Amino acid sequence: MHLFMILFPIMLTLIFSLVTIPLLVWMERRVAALIQNRLGPNRCNIKGMRLGGIIQPIADMMKLIFKEEFYPAHIKQKFYYILAPGIVFGAAFLSFIVVPYADDITLDGFTYHIQALPIELGILWFVAIASLGVYGIIIAGWSSHNKYSILGALRASSQVISYEIAMGLAIVSFLITYDSISLNTMVQAQGELLFGFIPAWGIIMQPLAGLIFIVTAFAETNRAPFDAPEGESEIVAAYHTEYSAMKFALFFMGEYIAMSASSAIIVTLLFGGYQIPFLNTQVMHQHINLVLIALLILVPLLSMGFIRWMQKNNSCDLSHRRETKYATILITVFVICFESFLFYLLSSGLSYEQSSVGIMILQILSFAFKVMLMNFVFVWVRWTFPRFRYDQIQHLGWKILIPLALLNIFFTAIFVILAGV
Amino acid sequence: MAVKVVPRYGNTLKEKSYIWAVVAGMKLTLKNFTTNLSDTSCIPTCEYPETQPSDITDRYRGLHLLTKRDDDTVRCVACFMCATACPSECIFIEAQERTDGVDEKEPKTFSIDLLECIFCGYCVEACPCDAIRMDTGIFSIIAATREEFIVDKEKLLSHTGIFGKENSLAQ
Repeated sequence: MHLFMILFPIMLTLIFSLVTIPLLVWMERRVAALIQNRLGPNRCNIKGMRLGGIIQPIADMMKLIFKEEFYPAHIKQKFYYILAPGIVFGAAFLSFIVVPYADDITLDGFTYHIQALPIELGILWFVAIASLGVYGIIIAGWSSHNKYSILGALRASSQVISYEIAMGLAIVSFLITYDSISLNTMVQAQGELLFGFIPAWGIIMQPLAGLIFIVTAFAETNRAPFDAPEGESEIVAAYHTEYSAMKFALFFMGEYIAMSASSAIIVTLLFGGYQIPFLNTQVMHQHINLVLIALLILVPLLSMGFIRWMQKNNSCDLSHRRETKYATILITVFVICFESFLFYLLSSGLSYEQSSVGIMILQILSFAFKVMLMNFVFVWVRWTFPRFRYDQIQHLGWKILIPLALLNIFFTAIFVILAGV
Repeated sequence: MAVKVVPRYGNTLKEKSYIWAVVAGMKLTLKNFTTNLSDTSCIPTCEYPETQPSDITDRYRGLHLLTKRDDDTVRCVACFMCATACPSECIFIEAQERTDGVDEKEPKTFSIDLLECIFCGYCVEACPCDAIRMDTGIFSIIAATREEFIVDKEKLLSHTGIFGKENSLAQ
């Protein structure tokens, strides 16, 4: 049990970063399609089961794994050439591990942190590691020994000097507000209520710093509208022009993990982390039976809504609507099992530790939901806005975001001193 | 000459802050997303192999066909006009004397290499006797080998047009 509770957050990190990649690829393609009035990938299937096209990224992954590892002959610095995708991937992955997935939990007298790396300087770790990712891009661009790649690396470096300061300054305002650099303390502070009815989320306490942080986090992940380093239309694919097979896949996965990690940090700082609005850990402990009853009502309602949506819209079914039928049966069976389990819990009553575990699971689900929503915003923004030119990024960073962030720190500090907090 | 004053946009604070433009753009894409997600029948694309396109016009240039005379014999007189007009040189005709008294000449072989063909329709325009047309409406041509892509006279004669005779480009 002890070992499991220590390994559990590490497992969660793996799930949140690696297992979500196919989901994110699928989401990206599907959301892009729906925004552009198309359907998106829906042909890949296993015996007629398409799962709404989610088989497609798995097929893509298989393809990339079995492709030939090709090394262009003109590359002189092979060590750096191979190292670069590893840096991108590793930095994205490591920046994820300080995020708290649920509140601290006490089992058998031990207090466990649901964080893969339970250190107090969470936000500093994120800032330090996430900005390493761009070194991977720069090294890749340089070692590719190719004009386009060099230009991409140049753009990446020009971008990194323009957003990182604004990002750091935006984080400073949060540090002043929460008076802590530990991510878990920040999330616990966001579980409180402001004036008794608004959740004290970061975006409400610090709207301007929140906006600056979101913008710079978009730049950090090298995603549209800040994907000038990639710039397919002008400089081919820049830093990953010369990469193929799994080396390319590492860049690709690194981008999605970075997106997920940025979403996780944005959610943790701005949108209350794992907190369910109006229900912090203590409130949930007091009203655990009410929470169970709410679940008892919500789960069948949501499943019914989903089944109705699926029966209406899963019209291009390759297997003569067999998939819809199976999915309906599967969801119904799941809901019935879940409901009977909840009834059992309600009738037998929960001990304090059992309800702690239940609350932990709910908080992890809430966190996952928020991260997926934030990932959706990333995708949504990508398919809405055109790319910034790299001098425009510098203009935005130096002339707009940095002065705004400095002003924000100034006023936050004055407010904190006057309020005497 | 009067000077036309063109209004300049983008100098007010509202426009410079970009926030409103950003919100408007996001709103538009979200609206597209939600309408399409809640009802996929709004999406104008068709599920291709199951649903064939229904909007092929009568001027669409599909697979070629050789037309016939009223007595079911080949209309082509092997004049080589199409082969001469062809920019990709994919029409191969071998002529022979026609012995049934209908005309003087007929093609012994008439084959088109579809891998070379660019479907420009010049052969149809060049033909003086409306013998070659491209109105089969067939746009998907599939074969396993290169040889199978060379369609011969019998194959071309066996195709039928999906549109009436009056739609010929030649007449």
